[in-house]
Amino acid sequence: MSAQRLQQLKGHLLHDNKMSAMAGPVSPLSTHVLNTAMGVPGSNMSLSLHRQDPSTEAWSLITTGTTNEDGRCPGLISKQMFVPGVYKMRFETGQYWETIGESSFYPYVEIVFIIKDPGQRYHVPLLLSRFSYSTYRGS
Amino acid sequence: MTECVPSNTDLSTPVHQTMAAAESSPLTTHVLNTGDGVPAARMALSLHRLDTNTMIWNMLNVGTTDQDGRCPGLISRDAFTSGTYKLRFETGQYWKSLGQTSFYPYAEVVFTISDPQQRFHIPLIMSRFSYSTYRGS
Repeated sequence: MSAQRLQQLKGHLLHDNKMSAMAGPVSPLSTHVLNTAMGVPGSNMSLSLHRQDPSTEAWSLITTGTTNEDGRCPGLISKQMFVPGVYKMRFETGQYWETIGESSFYPYVEIVFIIKDPGQRYHVPLLLSRFSYSTYRGS
Repeated sequence: MTECVPSNTDLSTPVHQTMAAAESSPLTTHVLNTGDGVPAARMALSLHRLDTNTMIWNMLNVGTTDQDGRCPGLISRDAFTSGTYKLRFETGQYWKSLGQTSFYPYAEVVFTISDPQQRFHIPLIMSRFSYSTYRGS
């Protein structure tokens, strides 16, 4: 492969994936926030991933991030850290609506889910308006 | 503390009709099992309000959905003040009682009440691998 071609490929890979610029492998857990009221991705939304300690039931913060232009947040967790357990994605939806000058019924959204088989890929999207939201287990 | 009406209560008796009419909760819910196309009956749930001084959740009521997936008497008009509330649905327990697993151990919906004079309907439409909610009336 020529040096020029390699440079082109690097450009494609790093353009929208600032968070995972250093991480080679793709996160086994992904999300996608969609603003269904306006028909656009939910971009620039803060979110955080947490895991629950099975003995104390306390939550530990694993990652914080902000959705990109496409409403995604690459590099949420590495394969190594993705062990079986109870996880929580917290989306700062109230802040998001406030930033675009609107109120919202929900100050934030937390989705708690169980990972039994970390060998699979998991997609935990959030489809959101000011007065509704939904989520599903994708891959 | 107002209790949700137990699912085996006969709502046709005069006492309960009066109770239901006089104390119609300004906050209602409805849980639907879209996996099976039925109301989610006998699901445990609880209502909480956030104490903004301590940032601790206070439990206001616990109950179980009836045959229609509803839980009347969630809160009285007097107790329904402005604030941040949380409805916690024990969805994991529900699916387990039907002999099924689920992706979510429970579902919590946190919402803000600015005008407690209105009526608020917070349904949960759910399957083993998805759920949604909206602000109804």
